[in-house]
Amino acid sequence: MKPTTATRARTLLRDPVVIAAIIAILLVVVGGILKPGFASPDQIVNMLRVASFLGIIAIGQTIVVLSGGEGIDLSVGTVATLGAILASRTMDGSDALLVPGILLAVGVAALIGLANGLGIVLLRIPPFVMTLGMLGVVGGLILVVTGGVADGRAAPSLVQLVNGRDVLGIPGILLVWALLAVIVTLVLRRTTFGMQLYATGSGREAARLSGVPVGRVTVTAYVLSSIFAALGGIAMVGYSQQVFLNLANDLTLPSIAAVVIGGTLVAGGVGGYLGSAIGAIVLTVLTSLLTTLSMPEWARIVVQGVVLIALLAVYGRQRKLRT
Amino acid sequence: MTETSPLVRLSGVHKRYGGVRALRGASLTAAGGEVHGLLGPNGSGKSTLGKVLAGSVRPDEAEIELAGQPVRIGSPRAAARLGVAAVYQQLSLVPELTVGENLVLGSEPATAGFLSGRAARRRARPVLERLAPALGAVHADQPVRELTPGQQQLVEIGKALLREPRILILDEATASLHRDQVAVVFEIVRELRDRGAAVLFVSHRLDEITELCDRATILRSGETVAETAMAGTTPDELVRLMVGDVQAVEREHGERPSGRVRLTARGLAGGALSGIDLEARAGEVVGLGGLQGQGQSELLLALFGATAATGDVEVDGEPVRLASPRTAAARGIALVPGDRGTQGTLPPRPIQENLAIASLGRRTRAGVISARRERTAAESMVEALAIKIGGLGDPISSLSGGNAQKVVFGKWLLTEPGVVLLDDPTKGVDVGAKAEIYRIIRRMADDGATVIINSSEDRELVTVCDRVLVLFEGAVRAELVGNEITEERLVQAALVIGEETQVQQPARTHGETAPDDTHEGTP
Amino acid sequence: MTQTPTVAAIEERRPLTERLGRVRVASWATAALLIVAVVAAVALQPNLLSPYGVASTFATFLPLVLVAVAQAIVVIGGGLDLSAGAIVALSSVVAVQVMQGEAGSVPLGFLTAIGVGLACGIVNGLVVSRLRLQPLIATFATASVFSGLALLVLPSPGGTVPAIITGTFRQAVGGVPVSVLLVVAVAAGWLVVRHLRIMRHIRATGGGPAAAFASLVPVAGAQLASYAICGVICGLAGLAVLGNSGSGDPFIGGDLALGSVAAVVVGGIALRGGIGSPIGAIAGAITLSLASTILFALSLPTSWRALAAGLVVILALALSALGAPRRQR
Repeated sequence: MKPTTATRARTLLRDPVVIAAIIAILLVVVGGILKPGFASPDQIVNMLRVASFLGIIAIGQTIVVLSGGEGIDLSVGTVATLGAILASRTMDGSDALLVPGILLAVGVAALIGLANGLGIVLLRIPPFVMTLGMLGVVGGLILVVTGGVADGRAAPSLVQLVNGRDVLGIPGILLVWALLAVIVTLVLRRTTFGMQLYATGSGREAARLSGVPVGRVTVTAYVLSSIFAALGGIAMVGYSQQVFLNLANDLTLPSIAAVVIGGTLVAGGVGGYLGSAIGAIVLTVLTSLLTTLSMPEWARIVVQGVVLIALLAVYGRQRKLRT
Repeated sequence: MTETSPLVRLSGVHKRYGGVRALRGASLTAAGGEVHGLLGPNGSGKSTLGKVLAGSVRPDEAEIELAGQPVRIGSPRAAARLGVAAVYQQLSLVPELTVGENLVLGSEPATAGFLSGRAARRRARPVLERLAPALGAVHADQPVRELTPGQQQLVEIGKALLREPRILILDEATASLHRDQVAVVFEIVRELRDRGAAVLFVSHRLDEITELCDRATILRSGETVAETAMAGTTPDELVRLMVGDVQAVEREHGERPSGRVRLTARGLAGGALSGIDLEARAGEVVGLGGLQGQGQSELLLALFGATAATGDVEVDGEPVRLASPRTAAARGIALVPGDRGTQGTLPPRPIQENLAIASLGRRTRAGVISARRERTAAESMVEALAIKIGGLGDPISSLSGGNAQKVVFGKWLLTEPGVVLLDDPTKGVDVGAKAEIYRIIRRMADDGATVIINSSEDRELVTVCDRVLVLFEGAVRAELVGNEITEERLVQAALVIGEETQVQQPARTHGETAPDDTHEGTP
Repeated sequence: MTQTPTVAAIEERRPLTERLGRVRVASWATAALLIVAVVAAVALQPNLLSPYGVASTFATFLPLVLVAVAQAIVVIGGGLDLSAGAIVALSSVVAVQVMQGEAGSVPLGFLTAIGVGLACGIVNGLVVSRLRLQPLIATFATASVFSGLALLVLPSPGGTVPAIITGTFRQAVGGVPVSVLLVVAVAAGWLVVRHLRIMRHIRATGGGPAAAFASLVPVAGAQLASYAICGVICGLAGLAVLGNSGSGDPFIGGDLALGSVAAVVVGGIALRGGIGSPIGAIAGAITLSLASTILFALSLPTSWRALAAGLVVILALALSALGAPRRQR
């Protein structure tokens, strides 16, 4: 029996991705009304540019949350910062060293992710605890590597990629983001790894009993999370052109929020990247809106918290105890 | 002093779980001062009926009267207020809390919010005193997780007794108890009865029912088929009442399988298994019988590499090392597990994914899945197994039990397995789908696969199997072949083995029984 | 061997040797880590043992110790509170504004801090138990709300704490520094709270939610209570912070939330609930605080200190997680 248009519309409206997208658009519209110029193409592009850093980091967080077993990566913010530092130091303002810089950052990040994954799978340390500890270690690594002094400069082409408007008037980084989004979504939906990831997250035991190598899948998820965190950090360096010691540290919890807003279940096994990307946009637009409205900083922070709770209450509830 | 008016009266109880009707108009009447047995084969609804009375299951329809007053039991709390307490096999004990703390859990005596340890101990003392002979070396300040399952069960019983119920339900509560512990529990039950309470004893252990109960109600397929006084009823009569008239159950089996030996296992041991040997041929359906929990599921999990076990296994004459389900599947072994929700399916995922997940490698190139071939494969299974679905993209949790189970079958059929292990494949499946699944099983065997099936329903084993191995305490104790496989023989074999071993070894400890060689029928 | 078990035998307490033998590995690890930390700290900085040394070290511990105890109660109940740091900040700035530096308003200030903490805790509890939101994200969101409100109350660090508070904090009673007494008082406080029926229900809810529910334990109420109690203790921590610093700061408490979780894990409390004791959390908090003192004293190059601290934490977390009973699958 084919669903009627009415039922189709209703199901669509209950889709968290759609809800998040509608909220993003609403926020832009409301902003445009309250503060003319907020919704101008220029502004929107700027907001999207800033959202891309969070969005790239959220790729890894999405994968980790999808892997289930209370999967979470609290170290993404610090890993992003470390990646940014390693990359920018290697590059030191030179295009020739752009690629080696990126490779170094990604390589080190992969090792960190590997440590996370092995601790979680082999030592059975809960993901929350393991990545929390790693957060501290990476923070320490940052200080060791920099000696407390943030130096290193981004390569010019990186800066141009992020800050310029080269491709049809859109910053190159947005296209990179879109490309990564497409690749990730294809990997999640069309590859063996993707299907095994969803299986591991939605029923670890059932997946294992279906021949899925759940341990390997989980470790891979954490490696990918750190890699994407590093990439996000590198993009941020292109934006700010120089590094700060806590460049991306504050992006960890927003990355989790973006994943949840996007409809990926915290329990794992359900969701996808598109929602997280939109979630990142929602969070960024919300922050911009509150800043532009000259809302005092306190109100901004409060509203962010309230909005998150409201969104969670709509589609983030857990099961009742009574059977 | 027995009362003449009934204390408990349940009538017209209906309960449906999705497509399965667990209870259809079941009824039960028990008087105060009476121990009332509730028996029936697996799937008869006896547990569900008890749970309706205890408030943990809400019936679709029911008339309940307690001491002549019509009542509605909407929750466990309501039941407790009405003086009903229940003890199940799944315990309501918190593992890290002590024995003493668990005994008063939920009804701790307190003054101004502060726990009164002394009052708690005072309240618990009489119960502990009665249970002491059976508990053995236990301290009240020991966390409950350190106790043996039998001791934990006794604490659970004590917890119910502390609520001083006027109606006590014991649902398979003696399952993990040794004979001497059971004797103490029986004494307690008798004392409770003599004080005017009604005790409902749900069990499949006929010897205990005949020893303890005054009357009994027998359920079959969700209906009450008989009510009888225990005096003057023999166990055989009870079996007949449970099983019904000996009908010619249509056996869906073909000729005597003569294929080559495909699966051999020698000395499988570990966990619940204590040394199992078996041999199964291509095209054969071998059943695992006996009381539930005697190692049947564990055997299947071990053969699938899902749990560690020692012993030798050979598939098609070649030894295999079953290190994981992945290696087992690579050798052509498939397992349809016992718990559909947590082991068999990925509930939130689409039907197509559930069908594809075990055979991904066959339809990929360089790790990329061919969407077209996936769809074709899924559609072919849906058609071949007549699975009623809305669309391949619907989550598998939207399907009825029977259809979801067919998806699990389909998942494995796509791997073209040589050995198919089935753990209670029609549990929670409606009658129509059941018949279809039997046909699927038969077809698999006819196509040359070796099938090993564990079932909680004897009728099912009769219908489908060429041979049945009856297990007891992790080893094969009896074998029924061909026409020897009847419901009566199965029930008898399971119970007889249980009784024999219990009588012979009064103080046995877990896992120490010597293998017995009781083979019935010609191998 | 043929002893008929009697109720007296059951009721008598287990012999000490048996009880010691059954103590979890995690608890031994916690105690060992604490002892190592204390010995190392004292060895490296002998003046830690001086009255001044003890007083100031305990004064710095106190906030983390309090928040660790608060977190322990929530975690034992099966939950998690990432807003603990924000509650500390909010209650401290509200108290500062209420007291306005006057000694006479000190009692009011105390009550306010506790009241604010309680209110925040109740909000957390309702969001988790009624709305049934996942505690991790939910308390992250409420942390935002509380931090924002703290900024509203005190936009930038300032305000004065009545001298009587800071003064008392630095004094000693009978030769024992007040800060030490307060830490001891916290431990003593727990010894009282653990006998509350609600605390037993909290532990049951964390250790076996289905079993607790089946035993008619009011599970939602117990969850709410655990967050409320946590909030109250965080309010007290807010006062401790004021005593330490002498002025209000809306940005304080940033590390307290995650630090308290680390202290809880090092203290042998299982994140899934039902296991462990806040005393362990106190030990964990002291261990972690001492660890940073030790690293400072080791005259490590500044940049290496943080890494060493991180490695120590991860080592402690790993040891505790290894010792903890395996999660049921």
